[in-house]
Amino acid sequence: MPILDSHRFTALFGQPAALGRARSSAFVAGVRAFAPAVIATGAWALVTGVATVRMGLHPVQALAMSAFVYAGSAQLASLPLIAAGAPVWLILLTASIVNLRFVIFSAGLYPYFRHLSLSRRLLLGYLTSDFGFLLASLRWGGRPHDSADRTERTWFFLGLSAASWLAWQSMSVLGILLADRVPTAWGMEFVGVLALITLVVPALTDAPAVVGVLVASVVAVLANGLPLKLSVLAAVLAGVAAAIATELARERAGARA
Amino acid sequence: MSGLALGVVIAGLTLVTLVSRSLFLALGDRVPLPARVQRGLRYAPGCALAALIVPQLVLADQTLQLTLANPRLDAGLIAVLVMRISRNMLAAMVSGMAAFLLLRALL
Repeated sequence: MPILDSHRFTALFGQPAALGRARSSAFVAGVRAFAPAVIATGAWALVTGVATVRMGLHPVQALAMSAFVYAGSAQLASLPLIAAGAPVWLILLTASIVNLRFVIFSAGLYPYFRHLSLSRRLLLGYLTSDFGFLLASLRWGGRPHDSADRTERTWFFLGLSAASWLAWQSMSVLGILLADRVPTAWGMEFVGVLALITLVVPALTDAPAVVGVLVASVVAVLANGLPLKLSVLAAVLAGVAAAIATELARERAGARA
Repeated sequence: MSGLALGVVIAGLTLVTLVSRSLFLALGDRVPLPARVQRGLRYAPGCALAALIVPQLVLADQTLQLTLANPRLDAGLIAVLVMRISRNMLAAMVSGMAAFLLLRALL
C-alpha cells in the first residue's frame, strides 16, 4: 500500500505512539480481508472506466468522475442519461435511487463509529464500498459493539476501504486510458453483473426478502422500456411494497395460528 | 452535454455519494428511524441490485430471452447457486464467468 499507507492515515487521524502498532496491524488486517473482492472490484472498475469513455466523455472528464464520484453502479446508471442529455435533477435522482443501499449501510455502520468526530464519520462513509461493507458485516456481524475494540474496528474498516479504493481507482484509470483497446468481445461487462450477484445472494435471508427481489426483478424487466432508467425506481418501490406485504401477511398468519 | 453541465453533474454525483453513504453516520441518534421506514429500507438494497442485474440476464436487444439457450441467464443462475452453496464471492464469479464464456462459445 504505497499510496494509502498507515503514515498517510496517521496524518489524517492523529496517533499516540503507543497505539500505533495496534492501528497499523488492524489496518493491514483490513487490507488483507479485502482480498476475495479484489478481482470483482477491479473488473467492475475496468468496465466502468471503459463505458464512461465510450459514452462520449473526454478521458479527463472520465478521470474526474471516477476520482470524485467513486460509485460504480451510480456511474453506470447515470451514463446513458448523460449521453441522452437528460436534465441534471433526473440524473441525480436516478443515482440517488441506485445509491439507496448505501443509506442502509450507513445506518448499519453508525453503532460501530459513533465515538468518532463528524468529519471522520463523513470520511468513513464516503469511502464505504459494497464489498467493504459486506466484508465488515461478515466479520462483525452479531457481535456486540464493545467499546474496547473500537479502535481496531475503525482501522480494520479503513484498511478495507483503502484496498477497495486502490483496486477501484487503479483499474478505473486503466479502463479509461485503454477504452479503445479493450475488446468488447471479452464479455468483461458480465463480470460486473456477476459481482452484483455475489452481493444480492446474501441479502436473500427470508421469505419477504426473496419475494421483494423476485417482484423487483419482474418489474425491472417489464418496465425496461421506460425512459431514463425509471425502471429501477419502479422496481424498488414494487419490490419493497411486496416484501412488506409478505411480512404483514406472515404476521397475520402467525397471529391466527 | 456541455463541459460546464457535465461539471455540475460530476459535482452533484459526488454529493450524492457523500450524502447517501454518510447519511446515518452523520445524523446518528438524532434521527431515530420509524420502524416502518426501517422495515422498508431493509429490503431496498436487494431490490435495487436485482433491478440492475436481472434485465442484463434475460434481455437481449430489448427482447425477453427466458430460455436455457441464453448463456447470460444460465451463467447468472450458476453464479447464484455457487454463491448460495459456497458463500464464496470468488468461486461464484469464476464459475459464472467460466460458464458464460463456455456457453457463449457452444450455444
